[in-house]
Amino acid sequence: MLDIKDLVSGYGSVRILNGVSLKVERGQIVALLGGNGTGKSTLLKAVSGLIWPWSGSITFDGKRIDGLRPDRIVRLGLVQVTQGKEAFPGMTVQENLRLGAYAVRDRAKTAAALERVYGYFPVLKEKRHELSGTLSGGQLQMVCVGRGLMSSPSMIMLDEPSAALAPQVVLDIFRTIHRIARDGMTVLIVEQNVRMALLLAHYGYVLKDGVIEIEGSAERLMHDDNVRLSYLGGTVANREAQL
Amino acid sequence: MDYVIDLVIIGLSVGMVYALVALGISLIFSGLDIVHFAHGEIYMLGAFIGLMIFQKLALPYVPALLLAIVVTGLIGVLIERLFYRRLTRAGGGYTVAGMGMIISGFGMSIVLQNIAFLIWGAKPLPFPVPFGMPVEVGNLTLPMSYVWIVSAGLLIMVGLHLLLRRTMLGLAMRAVAHNKDIAYLSGINVPAMISLTFGVGCALGAAAGVLIGPINYVQVQMGLGVLIKAFAAAVVGGFGSLPGAVLGGLLVGVVESLGAGFISGTYKDVYAFILLVLVLMVKPSGILGVEARMKA
Ligand SMILES: Nc1ncnc2c1ncn2[C@@H]1O[C@H](COP(=O)(O)OP(=O)(O)OP(=O)(O)O)[C@@H](O)[C@H]1O
Ligand SMILES: [Mg+2]
Repeated sequence: MLDIKDLVSGYGSVRILNGVSLKVERGQIVALLGGNGTGKSTLLKAVSGLIWPWSGSITFDGKRIDGLRPDRIVRLGLVQVTQGKEAFPGMTVQENLRLGAYAVRDRAKTAAALERVYGYFPVLKEKRHELSGTLSGGQLQMVCVGRGLMSSPSMIMLDEPSAALAPQVVLDIFRTIHRIARDGMTVLIVEQNVRMALLLAHYGYVLKDGVIEIEGSAERLMHDDNVRLSYLGGTVANREAQL
Repeated sequence: MDYVIDLVIIGLSVGMVYALVALGISLIFSGLDIVHFAHGEIYMLGAFIGLMIFQKLALPYVPALLLAIVVTGLIGVLIERLFYRRLTRAGGGYTVAGMGMIISGFGMSIVLQNIAFLIWGAKPLPFPVPFGMPVEVGNLTLPMSYVWIVSAGLLIMVGLHLLLRRTMLGLAMRAVAHNKDIAYLSGINVPAMISLTFGVGCALGAAAGVLIGPINYVQVQMGLGVLIKAFAAAVVGGFGSLPGAVLGGLLVGVVESLGAGFISGTYKDVYAFILLVLVLMVKPSGILGVEARMKA
């Protein structure tokens, strides 16, 4: 579904991605892992069109999307939820969500998408008339993910959806992502919470210094010595107990 | 007492004009992150266009006003598309590119003045609108032109409010003003929305120009004075805040009018700045301004 080949990109003249190749198959959850500042967010931004790909190719659903404007990529069905829980604080929860369906010029479809999002995040329905600036971190993250779902994309890219949230909320968010994927969404998820991400995902990539260092099935990465040493604190005991 | 009320009414109507220009400047600032220094010339251009429609096409005043708003708005879209886009794309007022933007604004102001000079000449032109007899309210006599400015200004502001608060288009404009990346990722065509924001800002300037036309003359130089007052208004109200622009505009108008009536008309242009200094001493962010705006 998403096929990135030898992608090079960066900011200004600073090169961050040095030829990244990555594939996401339809219906899969793929985890993108890596330490701080290795270029995970940069990769997502290059795919969603927020920054310019310098070279390489990005194919989505059989179409080349590198160089397209971000709103066009959204219209093709590929949506990114950025890191940092960015919403529009002066707008209500429902206005935030409706904006996510800006590209959808169909009232019935928008209404259906809104109900679907409220189904995943019932608390947002209760708070739909409140300003998003008044929400807790977890609720804000729900607004961001919900906004991403509003255009009914076929694939969603989530950038650290569990960052800076309380453990119970993290679990909630992961459960919901699992549900969203089960309902047919293809997911590329960037995570610092490597253990959780690998439990959720089918396949994983580890990015280091702007290239893919390790890739493999989630099962394999979980037992990979390098991954365990660098990102899992050496042990993966009790993993089933956590979900 | 009646004298005071007269002065306040005159102040409110002139203030309405400042408020409309300040609204345009604030809207453009919030959407494009640039301070548009050519906005006085947009106001001037709007006034001339309105006058031409009124005289050459012989349309009544109200359709002329509306048409001038639309035409100037479209000219604004064109200006943004052709001249400002490359600069705004490189980043707004908080970046190095923002400096280039300010200089382009000054350049644009000179260019527009010269274009207007070539077309309409240097002589002030009258904008003779038959507003009819003054209306009597109690023992007050209100000239219709002032009643007009205030009510038309209010209508336009209500329209802008409804556009920004009640429509998806307005929601998208606000989204772009707040965070362009997130707006993009919501599927909004950000460059188009920026053009639209700029166009609406210019349309507001044109409305102000056509409204002031009948009580002042229309002339090439008319932009500078109003630009300075509108900036004072925007800063008094809180730069970037739309309600602040309206409040600031009305305050500047009234203070100026009272000052001219009671102290001296010779220093008319000074009162706005005395007000500005006083407000900044008490609240540096302006009356309705937030302390520091987080812009993405
Ligand atoms: N807007 C920007 N301009 C310039 N450099 C940037 C910008 N954003 C990120 N960088 C740099 O690019 C590099 C990669 O950043 P990126 O945000 O992609 O990392 P990341 O893998 O997402 O890290 P994190 O886990 O902290 O989110 C970092 O060195 C960062 O300093
Ligand atoms: Mg990141």
